[in-house]
Amino acid sequence: MRGWGKYVWGALAIAVLAHLAVIHATPRMLTGIAITRLGEAGFNQWRLAPRITETARTIVRPAPDFAYSACAYDLRDGPIRLRVSAWKDYWSLSLYAANSDNYFVLHDREVHGDGDLILVRAGRAAPDGDARVAYSPSRRGVALIRRLAPSVAAYNGAAAAAQADICATLTEH
Amino acid sequence: MLARVLAWVAAALIGGALGVASAWAALEFGRASFMERYGAWTHSRAAGSAAADPYTRAVIAREGLLALSAREALYFNLNEDEHGRPLSEACVYELTGRPLEARWWSVTLYARDNFLARNNDHAAAIDATRIRYGGDRLWRARIAPVRGEAAHWLSSRNTHSDFSLTLRVYHPRHAFAPSQAALPALTTLSCAGDAP
Repeated sequence: MRGWGKYVWGALAIAVLAHLAVIHATPRMLTGIAITRLGEAGFNQWRLAPRITETARTIVRPAPDFAYSACAYDLRDGPIRLRVSAWKDYWSLSLYAANSDNYFVLHDREVHGDGDLILVRAGRAAPDGDARVAYSPSRRGVALIRRLAPSVAAYNGAAAAAQADICATLTEH
Repeated sequence: MLARVLAWVAAALIGGALGVASAWAALEFGRASFMERYGAWTHSRAAGSAAADPYTRAVIAREGLLALSAREALYFNLNEDEHGRPLSEACVYELTGRPLEARWWSVTLYARDNFLARNNDHAAAIDATRIRYGGDRLWRARIAPVRGEAAHWLSSRNTHSDFSLTLRVYHPRHAFAPSQAALPALTTLSCAGDAP
């Protein structure tokens, strides 16, 4: 029986490591899937989601009262500029790291008019200027705009406003 | 020698399986321990937070990926009725609520797969901009496969199995204090197969 001890302890050690690996990997894997899906049309560009209906299957538990615009960002080529064009009702810009953490939120009552932001990789220097800056803990992540739009008419208005949103490498603007 | 190798392979496989199974169990059954309960409503104040522990983060990622931080919005989920039974398409419920101390709120019904039910009823959500209160300062919504005469309706048609509700509270005011009394109350009116 004593000869089996090392195998039992080995199995337990592997079980602990596998357990922790799954727990840590789950949010990164799920966020990675979301980043990949949202980035299918390209990184660093807004993608306005169709009005949320029963056919929406990209993000779990979507709220049908919002017009969502998502930008899968990649800071490989340096900081990016984010702009949310003004909306008459509630809107927010939220940023998510690769591990799913919501590390930054900007909403309509914190700005007048459009919401502007420079997104920089954590640990890197921000560009000169007095623009609002957020630091991303990961190279890739997701920026998400929520515009409150509970009706078809409101959604259409939000979709029109979204045309002026910007998510692009800083050098492009 | 071969026996030792096989023993280590078996240990690795068993250990790996145990680890994956225990992680799955922790996420599947242990999520309640990361949640606060207000009656049958569950809530995690860590939702979307950078300070969330790895377990909470994993649970949130599974159940509410891209959720907002508590500063911006609070999420409450309801998976069972007032008797502790899973919410069912076979039952008719009434959800009753009072004004919430918040800028905006909504209640959305989700099928078991965490997406809107495939029923084309356009009745997946009710929200503060469209709700009408009665003389008693309460709003009432029917949760059922058919609308009937209800002013407000959340359609459970084609959920087939368990469904759930999510209450979103945006920009909660300082006066907002989650409690069983403050959050909407669910009442089961009838279930198919009940004795008349």
